[in-house]
Amino acid sequence: MTQRNRTLRTFLATTALVATGLAATGALAQSKVAVITPYLAQPGTQFYVEAFEAAAKDKDWDVNVIDTAGDVAAVISRIEDMVTQNVDAIVLNVDPSQVSAGLQAAAEAGIPVVGMDAGSDPLLVTNVTSNGYAMAAETSTYVADRIDGEGNVVMFVFEAFPPVQVRSVVADAVFGNFPDINILDRVTPDVSDGGIADSRAKMEAILAANPEPGSIKAVWAAWDQPALGALQAIEAAGRDNEGIVITGIDANPQAREAIESGGNFEATVAQDFKGIGSTAADVVSRILAGEEIKQGVVYVPTKLVTIANAMAD
Amino acid sequence: MLTLLRRYGTLIGFAAILLFFWISLPDTFMTARNWLNISQQMSMLIVVAAGMTIVMVMGDFDLSVGSMASLAGIVVAVMFTFDLPIWAAVSLALMVGLAGGAINGVLISVIGILPFVATLATLTMLSGLAFVVSGGKTISGRVIPEGFSGFARGGLSLGEWNGVAIALPNLTLVAIVIVALVWVLLEQTTFGRRLYAIGGNIEAAHLSGVAVRKLKLIAFALTGSTAALAGIMYASRVASANPTQGSSLMLNAIAGVFLGSTFSEHGEPRILGTILGVLILGILDNGLTQLSVDSYVRQILVGGIIILAVSTSSLTKHLRA
Amino acid sequence: MPLLTLKDVTKAYGGVPALKGVDMDIAPGEIHALMGENGAGKSTLIKILAGVVAPDRADIRFDNEPVSIGNPQSAHRLGLRFIHQEFNVVPALSVAENIFLGRAYPRRGGFLVDWRALNQAARTTLHRLGISHIDPRRALGSLTLGDQMLVRISSAFVGEAGTPARLYVLDEPTASLSRDESQRLFTVLDELRNSGASVLYVSHRLDEIMSICDKATVIRDGRSVDTGLIADITHDDLVTLMIGRRVEEAYPPRVGVPSTTVMFSAQSLAIRGGRSLTFDVKAGEILGIAGLANVGQRNVLRTLFGDISAAGGAMLLGDAPYRPKSPADAWRTGIGYVPRERRSEGLILSRPIFENASLPHLAQQSLWRSFLTPRREQRSAVSQGELVRLKAAGPKQRVRELSGGNQQKVVFAKALAGEVQLLLLDEPTRGVDVGAKFDIYTIIREMAARGMGVVLVSSDLPELLGMADRIAVMREGAITDIINAADTDEEQLLNLCYGRTTG
Repeated sequence: MTQRNRTLRTFLATTALVATGLAATGALAQSKVAVITPYLAQPGTQFYVEAFEAAAKDKDWDVNVIDTAGDVAAVISRIEDMVTQNVDAIVLNVDPSQVSAGLQAAAEAGIPVVGMDAGSDPLLVTNVTSNGYAMAAETSTYVADRIDGEGNVVMFVFEAFPPVQVRSVVADAVFGNFPDINILDRVTPDVSDGGIADSRAKMEAILAANPEPGSIKAVWAAWDQPALGALQAIEAAGRDNEGIVITGIDANPQAREAIESGGNFEATVAQDFKGIGSTAADVVSRILAGEEIKQGVVYVPTKLVTIANAMAD
Repeated sequence: MLTLLRRYGTLIGFAAILLFFWISLPDTFMTARNWLNISQQMSMLIVVAAGMTIVMVMGDFDLSVGSMASLAGIVVAVMFTFDLPIWAAVSLALMVGLAGGAINGVLISVIGILPFVATLATLTMLSGLAFVVSGGKTISGRVIPEGFSGFARGGLSLGEWNGVAIALPNLTLVAIVIVALVWVLLEQTTFGRRLYAIGGNIEAAHLSGVAVRKLKLIAFALTGSTAALAGIMYASRVASANPTQGSSLMLNAIAGVFLGSTFSEHGEPRILGTILGVLILGILDNGLTQLSVDSYVRQILVGGIIILAVSTSSLTKHLRA
Repeated sequence: MPLLTLKDVTKAYGGVPALKGVDMDIAPGEIHALMGENGAGKSTLIKILAGVVAPDRADIRFDNEPVSIGNPQSAHRLGLRFIHQEFNVVPALSVAENIFLGRAYPRRGGFLVDWRALNQAARTTLHRLGISHIDPRRALGSLTLGDQMLVRISSAFVGEAGTPARLYVLDEPTASLSRDESQRLFTVLDELRNSGASVLYVSHRLDEIMSICDKATVIRDGRSVDTGLIADITHDDLVTLMIGRRVEEAYPPRVGVPSTTVMFSAQSLAIRGGRSLTFDVKAGEILGIAGLANVGQRNVLRTLFGDISAAGGAMLLGDAPYRPKSPADAWRTGIGYVPRERRSEGLILSRPIFENASLPHLAQQSLWRSFLTPRREQRSAVSQGELVRLKAAGPKQRVRELSGGNQQKVVFAKALAGEVQLLLLDEPTRGVDVGAKFDIYTIIREMAARGMGVVLVSSDLPELLGMADRIAVMREGAITDIINAADTDEEQLLNLCYGRTTG
């Protein structure tokens, strides 16, 4: 019995010691900010979070990065835990409509929540993201310029997904402003296998229907996969020397490689992931300083990628 | 000392964990608000683990509960896109769970496939089915009725505590009801007694007049239904459905039952032990998150604690023998 | 000079003494019996020899050299071979491969296994031990249990280079063997003795010990009480030594005569894998079933119990037709069953006594046939326990913690808890020590006296002669004779089992 008492006492003493240590670190007058995401393992997310952490370090915040490994319900749980901890702000990287239970808890406790490429929601103070309209404007004007404002253009679009839908709206407007540009076809590829294979098949059909060299001047794609599919189709048909201009959006590594090799795929747009992270940190610091953020969305500039800078960053 | 450690080792550990968080988080951990949060956060896992306990009592287990939960969530959400009323969509999803569980039961008890193989196969099939039914997409937004997603946000008001309104969350209520039902089933009925007999010695149980096949089939069907219920709760909580959202439930449920079985004197799964086991997992998540411990470190800790609890109870058993 | 000398071997488990000082000498070339009731300490002694359990105090000499057996490997190095263990055998491999598992197989060109040579070597080894009926090319797993044991002995006999076998330890080897198989085993043990090795033979079966052993050591209550030559001792003396008191009768006396009312009858009942049988059991009668091992007795009981469906024919219980579809059906109708393997078939060792006792009748003992009433179950278990003279701490004690004899009494208590009319017994005293055996015989008698019909399958002919009213002899799946137990003797019964006409 005495033996047990001694062990118990030793245990209690150790626990108390550790606890005091932990309490001491928490006692500093730092701002506490939690970053909660189910997607930390994805490359884009890592860029935002690292940039956010770097900016937070300069501001001397106590940042707690929480990854729920794909579990969206756990995001709600962790928001609730952070509300219990009464953190100063929460930064979120998940579709806000799926975690509204957690957002409500935060709103009731008066804790501001900032979206980091999350989507818009009335319960978010604001959402920091890239401007889809601007990205589409970059590539569609590039196309219009390269074909001197005239000729047939094939568009690859996807209206069912809102962030992609806004891109085609802008492209339609830009091409519509050039009287000599004719939209030959508006294709919605089947995306169940990523979009490359079906886009290639669709493009092959279009090429077969328009055999004359010069009958297709450009391919504008709302994201990179259909652009890559179209490129494959054009190369396979041996029409890669007709000067057909292809553009995509998102600047995925395959697209950058294609652009760098100097073929028909000429341009895409890169989102500034690091910029999203550091801008989110900026927004949080403005909120903590008491400023009221008026914009529901804070746009971070994007960058056109061409052969000149394809492998630069 | 040794008997004490074997009998109450996990309980002492549980108390130590509580004490540790209480001291480390003096203002936020031992509060009604936080405990209601934990109960709500763990409610889905508790429901799955309660169902898992039913089959683990027989010495079997069900690997398909996670994908069953995902599928049930998808079924509910897809039914909403057809404008079905909430009660109809929920009943249909529960029926899918019952049917899926019964299929597991048939494979295991009638055809005689090992539970590991049979439920691994149904895990894959159900998961594929969830993708097919949903088209691989997350179903969210306006198609999910407010009444459905509101359920997870609502609760039974308990009055005020320190000036803050406190409510017992609906999800917690559902979990309590399920635990109570499973407790009655396993501890108070001939059905439960017979399941424990099957778990102890299947041949002796059969020769003592226990209808082993029928009971196994029913047990797996019940496990499937609880998994589906958890999936529906999950969909309500996130107001959406995604074909993979239940996948983390299976391993955590099995871990919870294993942890819980170390509470019982003879190391068999008991429903109340399971609840304590699941609570340990939930408290660790909650407390370590509040202490800003890295999420990955948390996973390592949880695994370590399971190994510690199970090895303590089996080691002390060896030493005694 | 003795091969192995044990002096003052002492061992306690957590303060409870298991061995209080055992002495034993085993000479080379001798078959030495180790005897004692369950719980006397035999298995602890064997575990100490095997290096599995460390003694608290012991003086162990091998070839007169003091040795300590710290682990199974050192026991093996000394030349001790424990045949009951599944050592070095692989069921999927052939007999020959198993026999030579510890040695290099013969090769052709130093590369390919020379199967012909291997099989020939195995055949030679088997012949040296007097075994001629086993084909060395067959898979070990396809042999009967008895033949598998013979192969294990052959494998130990061949051994590995460098560590020849000196002492074979066999713990209850004949428990699951037929009479023929046991006989073959004894021949092999004889050959081992001729080769100069010794055998330590643990068994409950006195007649076996009387016929094959040279010396015997009896231990009781953790102490060796006597060692002596078998030639100098009688059957009854051995029993007295083992249980510490004289036993007047091995079987309780018959009380009254069975009624003439037929309570169960099988009419051309076709047993799967057997033939069709016609027999009846009268109320209060014990019907014995005799036969060599595996001639279908087990399937008869399983068919009566509903575990195997009958291929044809009919059964009557009282006047009503009886067609059980499952054991659950059988229990409901009033048929009780005591299976052959109590640990693997009869009991749920991890559960308490009362849960085991009530399991076949759980619905009757429950509220609305669904909700448990543990108090009622425990009360009922206590009274059943008294009827079967169960020694236990209480109804909540786990069955695992009971001795073998008391476990078997729990199996009987199961049959008593409901309204069983016909009791099916499959080798009910197998592996039960002498004292508990008598208790079990008494229970069977009492059950019959209450008007129950009893079917008793046993390979122990004296047991059948001592207990049964009538004995049905089975041969090749059919009942060939039904005789009154009072009108026959062991020799005639054995001849009937073999199908020989008595001269």
